[in-house]
Amino acid sequence: MGYVLNKESFSDLVSALLKDYRIFAPVLKKGAGRFTDVDCVIYDEVKDASEIELEKKSDYASKEFLTPLSETLLYFTEEEVKEADLCEKKVLIFGRSCDLNGLKRLDQIYLDNGLAKDPFYKRRRDLIKPVLIGCGHSYDNCFCVSMDSNRFEEGYAFSVDLIDGEIHSNVLDKEFDSFFKAAAGAKELDVTPRFVTENEVKVEIPDEIPGRIITDDLWDEYTTRCINCGRCNFVCPTCTCYTMQDVFYSDNGRVGERRRVSASCMVDGYTDVAGGGQYRRKNGERMRFKVLHKISDFKKRFGYQMCVGCGRCDDICPEYISFSNIINKVNDAVKKEVNS
Amino acid sequence: MNTLNPYLPFSSKILEVIKHTEKEYTFRMEFKGEVKPGQFFEVSIPKYGEAPISVSGIGENFVDLTIRRVGRVTNEVFERYEGQSLLLRGPYGNGFDVDLYRDCEVVVVAGGTGVSPVRGVIQALSDMPDASDKYVVAGFRSPEDMLFRDDLKAWDSKLNLTLTVDGAPEGYQGNIGLVTKYIEGLPLKEPSKARAVVVGPPPMMKFTIIELKKKGFTDANITVSHERKMCCGLGKCGHCRVNDHYICLDGPVFSYEVAKDFVD
Amino acid sequence: MANLDVNVGKLKKNAFRYSKVRGETASRIRIPGGVIDSASMAKVVEIAEKYGTGVINITNRQGIEIPGIKLEDVDKVNAEVQEVIDALRINQPEKGKGYPSSGTRNVIACPGARLCPFGCYDTTAFAQKMENNIYPNDRHVKIAFTGCSNDCGKVRMADFGIIGMTEPQYNKDRCVACGACVDYCKRRSVGALQLVNGKVVRDTDKCIGCGVCVVYCPTRAWTRSREHYFRVVLLGRTGKKNPRLAEDFIKWADEESILKMVKNTYAYIEEYIDPNAVEHKEHIGYIVDRTGFEEFKKWIFEGVELGPKAEVNDRIYWGGKNYAKYGG
Repeated sequence: MGYVLNKESFSDLVSALLKDYRIFAPVLKKGAGRFTDVDCVIYDEVKDASEIELEKKSDYASKEFLTPLSETLLYFTEEEVKEADLCEKKVLIFGRSCDLNGLKRLDQIYLDNGLAKDPFYKRRRDLIKPVLIGCGHSYDNCFCVSMDSNRFEEGYAFSVDLIDGEIHSNVLDKEFDSFFKAAAGAKELDVTPRFVTENEVKVEIPDEIPGRIITDDLWDEYTTRCINCGRCNFVCPTCTCYTMQDVFYSDNGRVGERRRVSASCMVDGYTDVAGGGQYRRKNGERMRFKVLHKISDFKKRFGYQMCVGCGRCDDICPEYISFSNIINKVNDAVKKEVNS
Repeated sequence: MNTLNPYLPFSSKILEVIKHTEKEYTFRMEFKGEVKPGQFFEVSIPKYGEAPISVSGIGENFVDLTIRRVGRVTNEVFERYEGQSLLLRGPYGNGFDVDLYRDCEVVVVAGGTGVSPVRGVIQALSDMPDASDKYVVAGFRSPEDMLFRDDLKAWDSKLNLTLTVDGAPEGYQGNIGLVTKYIEGLPLKEPSKARAVVVGPPPMMKFTIIELKKKGFTDANITVSHERKMCCGLGKCGHCRVNDHYICLDGPVFSYEVAKDFVD
Repeated sequence: MANLDVNVGKLKKNAFRYSKVRGETASRIRIPGGVIDSASMAKVVEIAEKYGTGVINITNRQGIEIPGIKLEDVDKVNAEVQEVIDALRINQPEKGKGYPSSGTRNVIACPGARLCPFGCYDTTAFAQKMENNIYPNDRHVKIAFTGCSNDCGKVRMADFGIIGMTEPQYNKDRCVACGACVDYCKRRSVGALQLVNGKVVRDTDKCIGCGVCVVYCPTRAWTRSREHYFRVVLLGRTGKKNPRLAEDFIKWADEESILKMVKNTYAYIEEYIDPNAVEHKEHIGYIVDRTGFEEFKKWIFEGVELGPKAEVNDRIYWGGKNYAKYGG
């Protein structure tokens, strides 16, 4: 069932939803960018429809509810280990096709890599229902069409497309029809969420990436260009790595906690083993490790590409390194290899 | 405690602490479950962290964890003594299939703390009725760094042990030199059918395998065990991934046929 | 050359230089904040070509001097420069007569937050506001703005140096302990950050509010404060007697207080300036040397209410080379 809502009725809808759900959505944070008076769109819990940013592409991905940048898992007292509590209220997560396609990748690792399911992920996953933000146009650096993740047609609760000041929603999950029907001024109408069908940026990924590409000199320039800050990982809707952190409270050393924080394969320390061993010292090697995971290694293991082509890594890189351009460089190098 | 949560450790009693060097102790931990040599446990010290430690020995009601004191977690482990307990998670990883080594010539090459994960394998070899076709080359940095001295003596009497150190003070009576030096001279009858196990620091493994292949070993008959940063042991944290393999899930023990393509 | 009869005092006040070349002058264009639109720049070029020698001097204080202007052309230049004065919104009691005074110098600014990644505020806008606040005035006052503690604006050579600050805001829930802020603070700034228990602790006494942590944080755990803050440094100067760098006066000051304090300074100068000063011109610092810093503070704090975060340095001791006392 489809609905068209004006600003007020959308606001009504969100208020009604907030009674049963927590809502996580992109929010424009004034002045929260790196530089003075530069804004940043970050996912946050919203308390009002007006906070939800439906126009701009978020700088950080929607994964932050499922895999928080920093999450306490266990509390330790002298004798006891206690799992951290989590609010059990159901959660709606607003995301674009790229983000929602990213969910499958997060699930793959946390629920379906090895026998154990990650319980701290699962308890969050079980709470959420995705809400699709339609894309009326492609944004800077997007290449979702090449990655086949420009569409997300099943499994969302409802969609939202902001068109000329009105919200167009297609409701897939029947549970939500009553909310829409109850929103004052909502008109019933057939709605198809908007999907991008072409991006300015296109990539081509070779089916087979020969091992020799690992030693190709195409990676060398990134040893000096990349500053291994890890932004590309932290904004990526498909990066899942984390590091465990144990602490004891400074005011009471007998009590402490274990938490996990997002990790980046670009940042120093990622591969450090006890006693000082370290793999991939050069940033070029780290870049290769990351890129080949996204477009080859993950696929070898799970049968589909990891990267969803959202382009956020390109958007945020302070050194203007383009991930999509690297993919095409790899493609060229492979072609050259095959032809020679 | 919620048994469904694989992140929650269980408590295990320290049955014995065996001191090898100042920095390397073996903690004999109470454990009754199924476990194989080459698997590892996460030693979990609340407020300090977790460290992956490979199983260096297995008994009816215990596992041995040989721990090198190199950081925050292991420092804390070294403060514990017999009768106290430690929190553990595991065992994780695939481990060695000892049965593979029953009816063939076998060469185990281990360097330094790399001896720990294969100690169980060597033990099994030495317990076999005829261990005359089993060879072990064990290398340590110096005579003081030697682990499992009692075992080494016992093994020496049952199978063909070559013990070597990288360097030693003047007057040292034993072998001096890298493990790679002793491979060429192993009196194997049919190297192309013999099996090898190689565990140790990455450069040692690399050059040992070159020597083994020179001697006629096939990739498929060489088994290696890899050490990486294994934080979770569950295939989630990502730190130990190499290519499309998670060392903690698919390894740490790999056929060299697979592991030869590993690029960190 | 005609029989020149020129009131040199008035000429100088009208922002024309007394030139060593007899019969010539140079027109001095003030560019508050260092930003000029291209049309005004074209006008400057036109004046230089028409009345000057086709040469333009870029001054140390972000102004322009058009040299080689005949003294008899001063009125014509004043008429032509009007559109530049208008475009740069310079206060002027009477149009067409050029600049009304030259004592208070052009207010300068580094590019600041309009361009520079480290800039903590819009230096140009603040400089223009300041210009508007104090110009025209004959008193010799130098004010300079810089976006951050790098002090590319070299504001420590001015009477009032304004250095941009941001108060880093830390969201521990977004911090992954990557250590970038700690590392960059140490290498690029003062080393005020430390990782404690997997989170970052900021030494607020040490922190200079440069914002390096915010620039390098990859997760937005560090962001800038909504308010823009300033470090005010006082009474730096160059010159023959006792050149010295400005010293820290207020940390975490606010814009409004700064505007007021500078404005108040003029009343203080009127009260205490040496009546026999050459050309009625005396660096404020020398006046303060006579009256004492306490008296100066009393005057400039008149009606000023500093914000709750402001930290005032009650006693300041300036250094520098004192040629007048100890010789060169």
